[in-house]
Amino acid sequence: MFPLLTGLLILVAWWALYAAGAFPIGTVPHPWEVVLAFRDELASGRLIADTIASLYRVAWGFLGAMVFAVPLGLVVGRSAATRSALLPWINFFRSLSPIAWIPFAIIWFGIGDPPAIFIIFIATFFQITLATAAAAAAVPRIYYRVAEDMELSATAKLFAITLPAILPQLVTAFRVAIGVAWMVVVAAEMIAVRSGLGFLIVDARNGLRMDLVVCGMITIGAIGIGLDLLFSRLARIPSVRWGFDR
Amino acid sequence: MKATMLALEGVGFDYPGLVVIDGLDLTVAEGELLVCVGPSGCGKSTLLSLLGGHAAPTRGTITRNGQSRTIYQDGGLFPWLTVRENIEGGLPRGFAPAERTKKIAEWLEITRLGEFADTYPHQLSGGMRQRCELARALAAETDILLLDEPFSALDYQTRTRMRRELVATLAERPRTVVFVTHDIEEAVQLGDRIVVLGSRPTSVRRVLELPIPRPRQPAAPGVAEAEQAIMDELGLS
Repeated sequence: MFPLLTGLLILVAWWALYAAGAFPIGTVPHPWEVVLAFRDELASGRLIADTIASLYRVAWGFLGAMVFAVPLGLVVGRSAATRSALLPWINFFRSLSPIAWIPFAIIWFGIGDPPAIFIIFIATFFQITLATAAAAAAVPRIYYRVAEDMELSATAKLFAITLPAILPQLVTAFRVAIGVAWMVVVAAEMIAVRSGLGFLIVDARNGLRMDLVVCGMITIGAIGIGLDLLFSRLARIPSVRWGFDR
Repeated sequence: MKATMLALEGVGFDYPGLVVIDGLDLTVAEGELLVCVGPSGCGKSTLLSLLGGHAAPTRGTITRNGQSRTIYQDGGLFPWLTVRENIEGGLPRGFAPAERTKKIAEWLEITRLGEFADTYPHQLSGGMRQRCELARALAAETDILLLDEPFSALDYQTRTRMRRELVATLAERPRTVVFVTHDIEEAVQLGDRIVVLGSRPTSVRRVLELPIPRPRQPAAPGVAEAEQAIMDELGLS
């Protein structure tokens, strides 16, 4: 109830300030213009198409990062030699803004989905690797001793001990990473692509359609919250909950 | 003469720059309940790691005739599995599904955890968790059971009750047991034989035989005397 109320308050304040002439002409749209922009964009199908385009890129980039980052993170976390060899470099690339990769992304992959997917991959891969490595390195030794008593094979230890033991931290890492991916896709689409919510915003700005810019911003924020909610649900899975309940 | 299940000959264990155990000789007979008691930091847990094969001795030889399972003070259960799944993980491989279900049900009943079969370890009390550990370790049907201060994290009353339950369970399903503790009362309550260990480097200071039937009352003949003898040996009286 409260969130709706504060939302309403913000809307009223925006409306009132606009009516009072607080914003120079063309700097902030009227709330009603934004509503109309939403109506037009939904009717033309462009908003939905752009949203799907953005989500598609995030999904592939994120999935790709997950598939490669978790195994690499496990190796880095469980092997001291690999850790000392790779960790500084993983940290280096993690600290490098994914946006800095855009020139290479365009030169290597051209224009369209591939460069955007590549940027998402870069933005999440190093983060997930680092989180997986940290979690894998911190699995209590006692679990492996019990596993030795049970005479589990190395493969069984990986799937029956290490993976379930780090799952809660993985869920948290994925949640953080998907948030980053969603922020980065917008930036990538502003430069490397001609569709998606990021492109919608640049395109709207070029046409001085600030109402459309706000429409895009609201959509991006709402979907970001939706993604976060979706991933936070993963923490409720019974075999994951122990990591959050204790 | 009973078979020897565990034998240590001149065993030593070092960490870099630190001799933890030196020149330790010890044998454990089949079906015996051996308690090792000693001050904290005297290398008791290291001794148990060696007996369980989780660490290799720096010097000497260890002979182990049979499989072993270790029960730890706390945190040995897999938190992502329910009580039932944890116990199931302890079962030896090769049972048919129906047989497994039956065995799990049996252990749930023995350890009075039936009601909590689908509960996760973090939702249980400390005593229940240790009962689950006990069930998981005993369900493995190994010859040797190693216990590393299994009741030390529990409150006094729970601890006392758990000791009695351990004694009752072992009477029904005998195992060769090495029980490590710093608690002198616990040692005297449980051990067929009590090995008093000195501080680092660990060595045997004294061995007491206690042919007293269990469960033992604190005032039973021989019990108080044994406690006193251990206190004397550890310089606590």
